[in-house]
Parts: sequence; C-alpha cells; structure tokens
Amino acid sequence: MRIGYFLSETAQNLRRNFLMTIAAISTVAISLLLLGGVQILGMVVKNVTLNWEAKVEISVYLRDDIGPEERTSLTQQINRYDEVQEVTYVTKEEAFAEFRERYRHQPEFYENLPEDALPASLRIKLTDAKFTEEVADRVQGAPGVDEIRFGGDIIKRLLQVNSLLRTITFGMSLILMVAAAALIANAIRLAIYARRDEIGIMKLVGATNWFIRIPFMLEGVFAALAGALISGAVVLGGNALLFSRIGDAIPFMEPVLTFSAGEIAGVLLLLAGVAAIVGLVGSTMALRRFLEV
Amino acid sequence: MIKLIDVEKEYKGSIRALKGVSIDIEKGEFVFIVGPSGSGKSTLLKLLTKEEEPTAGEVYVAGKNLANLPRWRVPYLRRNVGCVFQDFKLLPNKTVYENVAFGLEVIGRPRSVVHRQVPQILELVGLGEKLDRFPDELSGGEQQRVSVARAFVNRPLILVADEPTGNLDPATSVGIMRLLDRINRTGTTIVMATHDHAIVDSMRRRVVEMENGNLVRDQSRGIYGVGT
Repeated sequence: MRIGYFLSETAQNLRRNFLMTIAAISTVAISLLLLGGVQILGMVVKNVTLNWEAKVEISVYLRDDIGPEERTSLTQQINRYDEVQEVTYVTKEEAFAEFRERYRHQPEFYENLPEDALPASLRIKLTDAKFTEEVADRVQGAPGVDEIRFGGDIIKRLLQVNSLLRTITFGMSLILMVAAAALIANAIRLAIYARRDEIGIMKLVGATNWFIRIPFMLEGVFAALAGALISGAVVLGGNALLFSRIGDAIPFMEPVLTFSAGEIAGVLLLLAGVAAIVGLVGSTMALRRFLEV
Repeated sequence: MIKLIDVEKEYKGSIRALKGVSIDIEKGEFVFIVGPSGSGKSTLLKLLTKEEEPTAGEVYVAGKNLANLPRWRVPYLRRNVGCVFQDFKLLPNKTVYENVAFGLEVIGRPRSVVHRQVPQILELVGLGEKLDRFPDELSGGEQQRVSVARAFVNRPLILVADEPTGNLDPATSVGIMRLLDRINRTGTTIVMATHDHAIVDSMRRRVVEMENGNLVRDQSRGIYGVGT
C-alpha cells in the first residue's frame, strides 16, 4: 500500500510539472548521450589500438651481405630480450611473395622487379607495443642491420587524440549533468510548492520525513532514468544501425566497430547509474533547500 | 502528561514570547490557555509539538523531555499530539473522508485500519452522512469537525487546539466545544488556547492566563477573566 502511495504521488508530481519534467529528462538524455558517446569512442579507440598493437612489429631489415651465422646470433640475441615474444626470419623470396600478394591488383608495382629486390628481414613481435622504441634502439646498430621500421608513432598520436577528445567530451557531459541536476531540482521544487499544504498537514499529523521525501526523490530518479532510457536507446540503435552498417560496408572497420554484448551492457549500466546519481543529487538539492522537514 | 519548567522563549529580534513559564498538566485534564493576542499562547502550544524549541527551561510531553528528542523522533511525538487550528487546515481537493484518511495514510496505517477508523470517527463528530462532501461544501462548524476528526482519528494522548472556535459563530462554537468535551471524557488531555469568554465561563475548567509572556493565573474550574 505504501509503495502504491509513493508511486501514485510520484506520477502525480511528474504530470503536474510536465514541461519542467520534459526539460529535465531531455537534458539528462543529452548529457548521458555525450557520456555514452565518449564511452563508445573510447571503445573504438581501444579496438583500434588492440588491432594495431597486434600488428605492430619491428621490421629489422638485414644487409644483403650478412652471413647465416651472423644472422643466427642476431636472432638469438634479440630472442633473449624479455620484451620480445617472437622473432621470425623473412627471406628475400618471402618478402617478395608478400609484396606481390599485397599489390596483386597493381601488377605494375612488381612486374619489373627482380625476385631479390627486397631485403631479407627479422620480424620482431613484442609482448607489449609500448616497448617498441626501446627494443628498436637496442637492435639499431647491431652488425648486419640495415634499417629498422616500426609503427609506434601512429599509436602514440592516436592515444593522445583519444585522451584529448575524452577530456573535452567528459567535461561537456559533466557540465550538462550539473545542469540536468539543477533542472530536476527545479522540477521537484515546483512539485513541493504545489503540494505545500499537503506537506504541512503531513508534518502536522506526524508523517516521517522519509515518508514525505520519498515521492519527491522518486520523481527525480524517474526523470533521470527516463533520460537514461532515451540515451540508452540511441546508443543501442546507433550501434545496431550505424556501426554494423559501416562495418559491413568497410570491412577493415569491422573489427574496430564491433563490441561485445558485455561492453554494450557496461555502457548502458554506466548511463543508468549516472542517471540515478544525477536524479538523487537533483532531488536532494531541492529537498534540502525547499523542504525543511 | 505535560510539564513546563521555567520555559523561556526568545524569537529572533529579541522578542520574548515566554518569560519563565511553569505548568503541570495531568492526564485527562481540559485546560484553557487564555490571554490577549501576543501574550504567548500560541508559542506555548507550539512547544508541545516541538514546532518551536524553548530558549531556556524544560518541556516534558508524555514523560519525555523534548530537548532530548532527536529530530527524527519528532513525527512520532506528533502522532501523540493531535492539533486543531482556527483555519481548519483541510485539503480542498480531498473529500471529508479523504481528508481524515490522509492523516492516517501518511503515518503508514494499513488500509484496513483506515477503512475501519475513518467512518467511525466521522460518525463521532457527527459527519457520518457527509463523507463524500468537499470542504467548501461544508459550513465552518462542519469543517472544524472534520479537522477535529483528523486530529483525533489516531487516538492521540493529547489534543492541542489553537483558537478552534475563532472563526465560528457562538452557536456553532458550542457544538465544537461539546465535541471536544466528549473527546476529553475518553481520557484525552486537551489544551486549548482561546479568546472566547462565553465558552470558558460556561465550561468551568482549568484556566491558565497568559499576559505578556508571563503566566499570571492558574485556576481550576476558572472563568475567563477575573476583572472582565
């Protein structure tokens, strides 16, 4: 019966301040959408980085005059580094075959090349991409090494852009969430004002403070959760419609834009949790200032 | 049941509403608090529900020192002290029945109790036929009866009435006083602030006279004023 009472009071409050409620709900939705966007962006960048990291290897191009013994000892030396997972020797012939495979649609690239045009190399796979530069430095200058190449800079820059984007968007969603809390507080203040006579009588006959507060707190939380529902729907819809289509159309984007159900659920849970907090903060603000029970 | 010991009350702006008042009220008593406006009657009543707190002195209600009563216990105190006011304080958008039921619902009484007690109490105050009326369809006297019903439906130990007949004509006032008298006879302690000479003089109950924040007379079976 009490739960029925709380729910009907809450529904009544929400209806009475329809416009304020709509404003509060949409602000929550927008700020959460930003937050959700940041999360998704983070997940995309994480996928990209994982993708790259898996591919990041150091190519140690060998001079043509290197002998098999020198090569073996270089390989063994590199293999001893803790950061190194695997070292593969790629012969000139294998390098050429790879090259031909990669540019199979543009035969003019390799048609006139002799089979030994490309240098042999050692490909180093690392336990973690962050050791790239360190290991490259150590191998640099070893006998028989001609040139070293790796893709570390791109990753670093990607991570920088990512963290910058996250900071900006996070700040924006924080500001919007404060605004959302204030709007919720205002909606509740109006609800309290509309019911000041009833509240007075409730205090008079000895209703407990929590009994008076709960409908208003529920109002705040419901408004915020409604906002979360909208933003969650947009996130889900965006993932299903937009990302999966892009993934289908552009194959190399697919692994980057595919998220596990767990990851998506995590984002939705985060949105709901933040919404509940925003709603509670908003209603607490209103109750403290306008309902001295 | 109620005990005030050297109670002083000073409002902000150093208005001294009570200047050392001591009263002892037994269970089942009917006490009139009389005196001109601003003499401290309402302040005295507000101390009993902890709406106001004394600046000095002690207030005991139902054996409890209110100074030691934590804020969260105040609602439970108020369940034992029913209140009736000059302006009735009814909710205009609720019917007679709903107004009284509201007082029970918001203190968490189960629906079965509400269904049983509300018609019973409305019968007691003589409104058994008007459950579905709205307050603006009732006379002033009837509205005050609803208000008394709401204050008493929870069977409080004490009923506090602040000028309950202040807005009513003499004939209607007599009806309200009969009702309060009946409630008093059930053992409920009643403390009533009033200006109404005729009522006080005809009831011949204990009279506490306030003047300028001081208790100037405390007389059992008294009348409104000695010199008036």
